[in-house]
Amino acid sequence: MALDVLTTAPRARLVAARASRLVLLLTAVAVASFTLMVNSPVDPVAAYVGADVASLGPEQRALISARWGLDDPAHERFLRWFGNLLGGDFGFSLTFNRPVLEVIGDKFLASLALMALAWLLSGLLGFALGLVAGVRRGRFADRAITWFSYALASAPTFWVGLLLLYVFAVSLNWAPVCCAVPIGVPADEVGLGDRLAHLALPAITLSVVGIAPVVLHTRQAVVDALASDHVAFARAQGERGFGLVLHRVVRNAAAPALLLQFGSLGELFGGSVLAEQVFSYPGLGAATTTAALGQDVPLLLGIALFTTVLVFTGNLVGDRVHAVLDPRSRLTDVRGRR
Amino acid sequence: MPGSAWLRAAAVVVVGVVLAACSGEGRRGAGGTPTELRLAIGGESEEGYDPTLGWGRYGSPLFQSTLLARDADLDLVNDLATRHEVSPDGLVWTVDIRTDAKFSDGEPVSARDVAYTFTAAAKSGGATDVTVLREAVAVDEDTVELRLTKPQSTFVNRLVSLGIVPEHAHGPDYAREPVGSGPFVLEQWDEGQQLIVRRNDAYYGAKPAFERVVFVFTGEDASLAAARSGQVDVAALPPSLATGEIPGMTLTRVKSVDNRGIAFPFRPDEGSTTAEGRPIGDDVTSDQAVRRAVNVALDRRALVDGVLNGYGRPATGPVDELPWHEPAAAVGDNDPEGAKRTLEAAGWIDADGDGVRERGGTRAEFPLLYPAGDSLRQGLALAVADMLKPVGIAVTPQGESWDVIRTRMHADPVLFGWGSHDATEMVNLYSSAQAGVELWNAGMYRNPAVDAELDAGMAATDPQQATAHWKAAQRLFGPGADAAWAWLVNLDHTYYADACLDLGEPQVEPHGHGWPITQGIAGWRWTC
Repeated sequence: MALDVLTTAPRARLVAARASRLVLLLTAVAVASFTLMVNSPVDPVAAYVGADVASLGPEQRALISARWGLDDPAHERFLRWFGNLLGGDFGFSLTFNRPVLEVIGDKFLASLALMALAWLLSGLLGFALGLVAGVRRGRFADRAITWFSYALASAPTFWVGLLLLYVFAVSLNWAPVCCAVPIGVPADEVGLGDRLAHLALPAITLSVVGIAPVVLHTRQAVVDALASDHVAFARAQGERGFGLVLHRVVRNAAAPALLLQFGSLGELFGGSVLAEQVFSYPGLGAATTTAALGQDVPLLLGIALFTTVLVFTGNLVGDRVHAVLDPRSRLTDVRGRR
Repeated sequence: MPGSAWLRAAAVVVVGVVLAACSGEGRRGAGGTPTELRLAIGGESEEGYDPTLGWGRYGSPLFQSTLLARDADLDLVNDLATRHEVSPDGLVWTVDIRTDAKFSDGEPVSARDVAYTFTAAAKSGGATDVTVLREAVAVDEDTVELRLTKPQSTFVNRLVSLGIVPEHAHGPDYAREPVGSGPFVLEQWDEGQQLIVRRNDAYYGAKPAFERVVFVFTGEDASLAAARSGQVDVAALPPSLATGEIPGMTLTRVKSVDNRGIAFPFRPDEGSTTAEGRPIGDDVTSDQAVRRAVNVALDRRALVDGVLNGYGRPATGPVDELPWHEPAAAVGDNDPEGAKRTLEAAGWIDADGDGVRERGGTRAEFPLLYPAGDSLRQGLALAVADMLKPVGIAVTPQGESWDVIRTRMHADPVLFGWGSHDATEMVNLYSSAQAGVELWNAGMYRNPAVDAELDAGMAATDPQQATAHWKAAQRLFGPGADAAWAWLVNLDHTYYADACLDLGEPQVEPHGHGWPITQGIAGWRWTC
């Protein structure tokens, strides 16, 4: 039996292979990010000082450079950072005046709620719409949903965010205009409802990134499944309508949708940079912008590594879930390794 | 209906938003004036609120108080200090401080805290420059001596901008838990979102009219949205967004010295380069007649009306309306005929009739560099080119990255933006000692008489004396004399403010829009 290959010893080998791949990937990401940062035209000291840079003398500039460690050659800075990293020290963020891990931890908690909600929203909504479109192929519903998906796919995230902001926050005054908590309210008086209200618009904005591909892939998978022999066989046995779709199509259609969803964590993070900017939401995306504009190398590298792990894990989980849903993929997996 | 699936889903989401969004109302209820003020004027200090790292170097430090302050006319007034005096050699600044000031933790403010603050700021490597300080010594409970390594009259700006921190409570956590003797105390800081401050009832000065002030750190679009939906009382917005009426709010314009001007390469092109290999000099702009003609030909009022949509003032120099501004240095502008006469007298003639003057084989043409992506400077550069064409000077605006501008700025004119309450900036822009340092004296301007005035201004021990030297320098480098720069415009900073809020008499603001308006925040009042 081919499936037995997946048990015991080879599985350990699989984990080791994946782990070493992750380490290689992280190293490559760190080197590439660092090279980009060091060669960026932004002058770190000018970015740090801001508008007042003209009344700052060379002596003070030298002091700042020394505090930031900018005087050493680039490769030395990188090796020192890398050495500290191996010892578990991610460094100190100068724009936030705190250890990098603390900053990432804080910001990620805020982003996690946003990204998880947006991710669920785009997954569920996208899958449902794709299912409807596939089942009603060629009809009005299909055309409407497909058109809607193309419209979303071509709409820039920040633009959708601004549109929602103006409709719901300004014109209708239903939603708050910014932030993750209400303006002027002490932290201990902020309830779950407040947090959800502040999450709604950014999460909807962010979910826009992911909906369209899920809809379109699901639609195609449903169309393929409906045209397949096993559905023809089920129809011949008298299965019809909702039951047929639920029992014979959903599982086939879910596989690509899930793979896409797990594979889209990178785009989700990219979208959060824009969505958080529009709604002044204090997450990892906003911190990335701050770090990049302020040339905060330790923080930006930390965020790059962190998101790499996130995306890698997402893809890994996506593969496993896909394998569970669709046993055929496991077979190709095994054959491919031989 | 499958189509209604989306509608249903949307309805669920929308209802969720509505149900959850019913907070934040009623702030103005119960009659009377609100006790809370909400501002969307940016200014978040991501690294926290530690003056020794540069917090409060413009605008109000909120939590701390400074030795001196500047009033609406930018004249010096005492704050924590009761008296200050500079020794005749300019090396020792003696400051007496008031004895009734207390930090928000109840401890009195002593001369030791002042000495500690200046010492810490000099060493911190933050964004405030106190490197001229040799040592700070508390000579008794309420007197501190600040000893400098060289005379520096502009050191007074450190007394104005450096908030005093308590020696006993200053450590790594201070930036997030500031303790000071200022008009407000920190209540809560939601990083990246808002800063909530409470009135410090132990403050020795005039008490603010508000019990709480909330600073919301929104981007420009969200600030406008917040103002439109009535969630903030003041919003700082660029003039491009400050269009249209907002019910209950007035558009407030604040004058600034946030200026834009052209730095001309001052030396002729002799093929020389800087140590980094950057070319120096331009044969057209090195001629004083050309620089003067440009200054005279430009119609600055038209630049303000056309490019800034009226939100600004014509600029006559780098320090317009600051206390040391010399109005006599200005020249009349919008005079193309005068410019032509100047050029012709200097030998710039359009002999071949192509619309561009030349002299000895050199055409009166130069590029004008501006940072690509800055649409305001792009507009100015294009308008300048249009205005100089009829005079016979061909200008080619070129948008470049700062990287490229840095390599070309000694040989090509550049459109810069400056503006500071600190006269050091003017010195840096015109002193030959700063030629090629940072972005300052990019044109490598050099006039020994100007250098002498600037040095004398720096060494002066009395503000009036320093001002006299600053003014003399402006008469020498101004558009009627060396015309080292062609200053174009000063921007106006625009704020939407609640119609019932009296912001007092705002100062002429420096480069940087938003936070500087807080300078007088302790004196803001509701008027209805």
